[in-house]
Amino acid sequence: MSLATIRWGALVLALLGVGLTLLFHWQVFFWVPTEASMGVVQRIFYIHVPAAWVGFLAFGIVALCSAIYLWIGEERLDQAARSAAEGGLVFTTIVLTSGPLWGRIAWGTWWTWEPRLTLTLLLWFIYVGYFMVRNATENPERGKRFAAVVGIVGALNIPLIHVSVLWFRSLHPQPVVARVDGPTLHPDMLTVLLTALAAWILLFFALFLLRYGTARLEDRVEFLEHSGTVREGAVRS
Amino acid sequence: MRRYLRQVWAIAAKDLRVELRTRERVVAMGAFVVLTSVLFNYAIDRTAVHPREIAAGLIWMTIVLGGLLGLGRTFELEKEEGAMDGLLVAPLPRDALFLGKVLSNMVIMGLVVTITLAVIALFFQVDLTVNLLPVVGVLAVGTLGFVALGTLFSGISAGTRMGETLLPILLFPLLVPLVVFGVSATSGLLAGFPLSEVGDSLRVMGAFTVVAFAAGMGLFRFLVEE
Repeated sequence: MSLATIRWGALVLALLGVGLTLLFHWQVFFWVPTEASMGVVQRIFYIHVPAAWVGFLAFGIVALCSAIYLWIGEERLDQAARSAAEGGLVFTTIVLTSGPLWGRIAWGTWWTWEPRLTLTLLLWFIYVGYFMVRNATENPERGKRFAAVVGIVGALNIPLIHVSVLWFRSLHPQPVVARVDGPTLHPDMLTVLLTALAAWILLFFALFLLRYGTARLEDRVEFLEHSGTVREGAVRS
Repeated sequence: MRRYLRQVWAIAAKDLRVELRTRERVVAMGAFVVLTSVLFNYAIDRTAVHPREIAAGLIWMTIVLGGLLGLGRTFELEKEEGAMDGLLVAPLPRDALFLGKVLSNMVIMGLVVTITLAVIALFFQVDLTVNLLPVVGVLAVGTLGFVALGTLFSGISAGTRMGETLLPILLFPLLVPLVVFGVSATSGLLAGFPLSEVGDSLRVMGAFTVVAFAAGMGLFRFLVEE
C-alpha cells in the first residue's frame, strides 16, 4: 500500500466512523427505549460493550502481527502491531472509564473484582508494558522484538487469565447478544448496539491506518537521515 | 538428547557455582522473605483476622515478591564485560540457554520457597503437618511456572534502560492465574482438604506452567539476538 492510499483510506474511514458515532449518540440519547430495570444508566451499555469488543480485536491484531514479525522480520508488521496496540489502549481506556460509571449506579460501587472488569484492567496493563518495553531500549530493533514477545505472551495468557478471574462469582450481566438461542435484546437496542459497534470498528481502523502511515513516514525519515542524502535538520523542518 | 541436557546443565552449573561462592541472591532473597513476614505480622490486625487464616495468601505473596528480587538479576552477570556475547557464541541452542537459566533459578527459588514456608509456619502457627507433601507439590508446580515466565521477562528487562523496575509491570498482570489458583489450592490443602479436592486448581497451574515453558523456549531466542 502506498502512503497516499493509506491516508485516503484513513480519511474515508474516519469520516464514516465520526458520522456513525454522531448517529449512535443521537440514538442513545433520543431514540432508543429506556431499559426497564436499570433505567437511564443502561445507555452506557452502547458505548461500553462495543469498545470492549474492539479492544479485544486490537489485542488479537497485536499478537498476530507480532508473531509474524518475529517470524519473517518484516518491518511493516511491527508498525501494524504498534498501531493496533495504540488503538487498543484507547478503547480499553473507554471500557475502563465507562464501566465504573455504570457500575456506580447499577451495582452501587465504582469497582468490583468482577471477571470481565478485571480482565480488561489487566489487558490495559499488558498494553502499557508493551509500550514501556518499546521505549526503554537503547537499540530500537531490540525494543521492537521485546515488545513483540510481550504481545505474544500476553495473548497466550489471556485465556488463562479469563478462566482465573471467572473463578470469582460473576456480578457482570450475562451476555445478551452473543448467545446460542439468539439475542435477547430489544430489537431497537440491538440496532443501536450494532450502529455503535460499526462506528467504533471504523474509527479504530481509521486511527490504525493514520498511525500506521505516520510510522511509515517516521521510518522513511530515519532512512533518509542515515543514508546521508538529507541532513538531519532538513527533514525535521 | 543427552548432549542437550549436558548443555542445559553446563549453563545451570555455571550460575549455581557463582551463587554457591557469593551466596548473594539466596541471602538477599532469604532475608527479604523473613523481613516481609515480620512486616506482615504488623500489617495484619489480629483482632480482625488471624494471619493463619490467610497463610496461603501470605505464602504466595512472599514467594512472588521475594522471587522477583532474585529473578530480576538472572542476566546481571552476563551484562558485564560482554559475558552475554560469550554465552551466545558458545555451541548451544538458545532454548538450552533458557532452560539452563530456568534450572538455576529454580534451584535458588526452591530454597527461597522452603525458607518462606518454614518462616510463615513458624511466625503464624500454621500447621504444615496436615498436608505437607501436597502443599509442597502445589508450590513446586506454581514456582516452576513463575520461574519460567520470570526468566523470560528478566531477559527483556535486563536489556532495557529501566532494568528490574520493569519486571513487575510486565510480570504481575500475567501472574494472576498462578496467584488465584495457587492461593486457592494452598489454602484448601492447609485447611485439611485432600489433594483430589484441589485438582482443578492444579490443572490450571499446570497449564500455566506448560504455556510459560513453551513461550520461553520458543521466544527466548528473539530476546538475545543482536
